[in-house]
Amino acid sequence: MIEGFEFKQCTSILKSTGKKAGNLHKLRDMIARVSDDCIFHHTYQYFLKEHILEYTNDFAHWAGESLEERSLAEQLSSIDPYEFDNIIDLRKELLYVIDDYLEKFPEPREAMPGDEFFFNETITLVFPIGLKAKNLAEFLMAIKFVDIGSIYYHFYEARMRVGGGIDDFSKWIEESLGKKGLAEKIRAIDLFMHNIEDIRKHIEEQTEEELKGDMEVMGVGK
Amino acid sequence: MINQYTGISPKGDLLLLQRLAGAFHGRSFLHINSTREGGGVAEILQRMIPILQSLGIDAKWEVIKGDEVFFEITKKIHNALQGNKEIITEEMWQHHFEVNKQNAAHIDLDADAVLIHDPQPGPLVEFRKTGSWIWRCHIDISNPFKDVYNALGRYALKYDAVIFSVAKFARAMNMDEFIIPPSIDPLSEKNRELTKEEINETVERLGIPLDKPIILQVSRFDRFKDPLGVIKAYRMVKKYNDCVLILAGSPATDDPEGTAMLEEVKEFAADDPDILILLLPPFSDRDINALQRIAGVVLQKSLKEGFGLTVAEAMWKGKPVIGGAVGGIPLQIAHGVTGFLVHSIEGTAFRIRQLLNTPEMAKAMGERAREFVRKNFLITRQTRDYLSVWYAMENKGKSIIEL
Repeated sequence: MIEGFEFKQCTSILKSTGKKAGNLHKLRDMIARVSDDCIFHHTYQYFLKEHILEYTNDFAHWAGESLEERSLAEQLSSIDPYEFDNIIDLRKELLYVIDDYLEKFPEPREAMPGDEFFFNETITLVFPIGLKAKNLAEFLMAIKFVDIGSIYYHFYEARMRVGGGIDDFSKWIEESLGKKGLAEKIRAIDLFMHNIEDIRKHIEEQTEEELKGDMEVMGVGK
Repeated sequence: MINQYTGISPKGDLLLLQRLAGAFHGRSFLHINSTREGGGVAEILQRMIPILQSLGIDAKWEVIKGDEVFFEITKKIHNALQGNKEIITEEMWQHHFEVNKQNAAHIDLDADAVLIHDPQPGPLVEFRKTGSWIWRCHIDISNPFKDVYNALGRYALKYDAVIFSVAKFARAMNMDEFIIPPSIDPLSEKNRELTKEEINETVERLGIPLDKPIILQVSRFDRFKDPLGVIKAYRMVKKYNDCVLILAGSPATDDPEGTAMLEEVKEFAADDPDILILLLPPFSDRDINALQRIAGVVLQKSLKEGFGLTVAEAMWKGKPVIGGAVGGIPLQIAHGVTGFLVHSIEGTAFRIRQLLNTPEMAKAMGERAREFVRKNFLITRQTRDYLSVWYAMENKGKSIIEL
């Protein structure tokens, strides 16, 4: 008996910490002190926002757009939060990159008033959306139907929740459906290089391809 | 009523709304503000209360009453919180409190969650009974006039939480501070789909030419909306691309500054037949809707702004919007994705030309803008957020809540 895949979704409510930084020194000090939830929001949850592929976290975005420190923005953007097992190590890496930059360029400009970096956190509500896929065809239908909050929850957020950098989709496809090849193709989708809608399309394409292959093997349509 | 949003609002929002409503079924949610009509708060409550009720929540909306002196005081408080220097004497604070005390005697404050909108009814918290009390601050208090802010703090700290519209409007208050942007109602007269006949009716009545691309700004005639800057940008564009500029706003009969600004705008527009200055009476929602739908490019070239929901309104109609990078506008426009953010008249002119010359890009941007509003700025999202805050208040200390 195959265990079905239950689709869930998450929605985040933004909370202000009331803290802000107007320059890079202040940003560095605040990154060292703010909560883990705050670091999580400004890095992992960046993918939930509408953006062009220029930056990969809020710190890089601010350094590039508000401080116009392009080189720092590039360095911060190259930090992959999923490479770290915990927020402590991610925080250390952010500080390392900023400290290194400040050593070379000790007097970066101030942000314009109102354009400071505002430190936020979130409260995340997770809820089942009433969809359960029992096989790959149902999974494909569901992937086309669900909101991006559901793709985010299973494809991005899962990597921290489940651990080991694995998303829920490929885990289920491998463990419950025994389709290691498809699972690997889904895992190979570069989550940095796409927005969530693109991720949806890629998963759809890979799944459709797999289903076509299955049907050919079964001789459907011959 | 909630079913009317099916196919319009994101499925997940409607689902979460229903789940939260299930958790709060039959429980009471009281909103209090200071006006039944006029202004963004009343506009959204008129629509949100029936939605909450249709979900099975005992939602109520009360409006405090006050004399002229009270509203003069609260106007001063409002201005001071936004940074103006205002002197509010102890006697005035006392009157502010007394009026609220009288209202407290007439309003049933016993509710499971109470949302107090803006500073006018703020002192009601002194009479709180049960439930979670949340102060909903719609204005920017990041740089307040300190004396007034500190005096008002005596009330603010008695709330369980505060909600701001934008993170940069907030300040550290040593309590839970949530960020919930305002929203538009896709079914209201200002935003609903219009038939061709309805649009034509507006076009003909207002005498709008349709043979040239239309550049539109809908706003009060206020120097912070920079109408003169808009005309200058239009003139720069006109050298390269033929177009019509429409500046649409309500006449500001009660605002001497507004009247002067309007005269200045008219004088500056001179007798250019391609500049249309439209004075629309209050509640011209359908006309504004139609104007936004016939426009090629919509501007909100503000120099100072609150949230600037007219941006989301135009985006909802699939229009690329060029907005000043102030207030809540950068939250609505992802630069280069759902519109353009500008910092100067020259930048505005450049982006107008870009959109007029690349209609395919303008169309794609407009489509992304509509989707962005669907995901982020519809009333169902704001209702969902209010209920989420209430739920979070009843599950304090958790950053992940499974429903």
